[in-house]
Amino acid sequence: MDRVDDAGNADPKLSELLQEWQVPGAPRSLDERVLGPRRRWWSFLLTGSIRMPVPVAVAIAAALLMMAVALARQRTAPPAPSSVNLADFQPVRDLHVRVIRGDHGAR
Amino acid sequence: MTDPEFREAYRRHKDILYRFAWRMTGSPASAEDLVQDCFLALLRNPAAYDSQRGTLRSFLIGVTRNLALKKLRGERPLGELDDESVACPVIDPDGRERAEIVARAVAALPPLQRETLILAEYEEMPLDEIARVVGAELAAVKSRLHRARENLRRMLAPLLEKKGTAYGSCR
Repeated sequence: MDRVDDAGNADPKLSELLQEWQVPGAPRSLDERVLGPRRRWWSFLLTGSIRMPVPVAVAIAAALLMMAVALARQRTAPPAPSSVNLADFQPVRDLHVRVIRGDHGAR
Repeated sequence: MTDPEFREAYRRHKDILYRFAWRMTGSPASAEDLVQDCFLALLRNPAAYDSQRGTLRSFLIGVTRNLALKKLRGERPLGELDDESVACPVIDPDGRERAEIVARAVAALPPLQRETLILAEYEEMPLDEIARVVGAELAAVKSRLHRARENLRRMLAPLLEKKGTAYGSCR
């Protein structure tokens, strides 16, 4: 069946002959001209950029600032007292108590 | 039009546009230029495409077609785009590949006949869609296609005779 016969002179032989002239599809060079060159993934890591909404950027910056402040406070805080281990303590066996009395002018 | 939409449109239609532009101009380099200009036009003014008037494919082919005709007019400013009196001479097939002979024959057609033939025979586009793309009446498109085939039979008579048809070389 003819693909296009509305003009009234469809010709299968002519159509078949015409199909002997084939041209390829769009080349890769055209892709690069229209869409831009394709970059390797590692090239993107080095030179790429990401568009970000301003509110998201502000939220991320605020979170980073709060983290930095919290870390800074942790560094300047006094060290917590070390716990005392009483396991090595022994009761006092001999206790000599020296009493020192103050002179209140009695002599 | 968002970037993903543009990329999808390009991916879908680049081959048909490139093939059409190549067959219209006879040059792969010109075809690249035309297709790039077509998509740049879409990028700059996406509102120019109205989905109510037809498919995006038809719109893009129409843009490419206009760019191709503008280029052809620039190359041959005094030439007619569709001269009904043109009777394309037989092409001497001596020493040429059949595909090259066919390419020369199609290139020898007047531009308006050429575009109609390309869209009908190579891209299998319905005539009513072709009429929308080229901005002409359906009757005019049928007439152009009819004359294009007649001219091609004349030009390619040596090859068609080898295939065993009854066509003569001239009318």
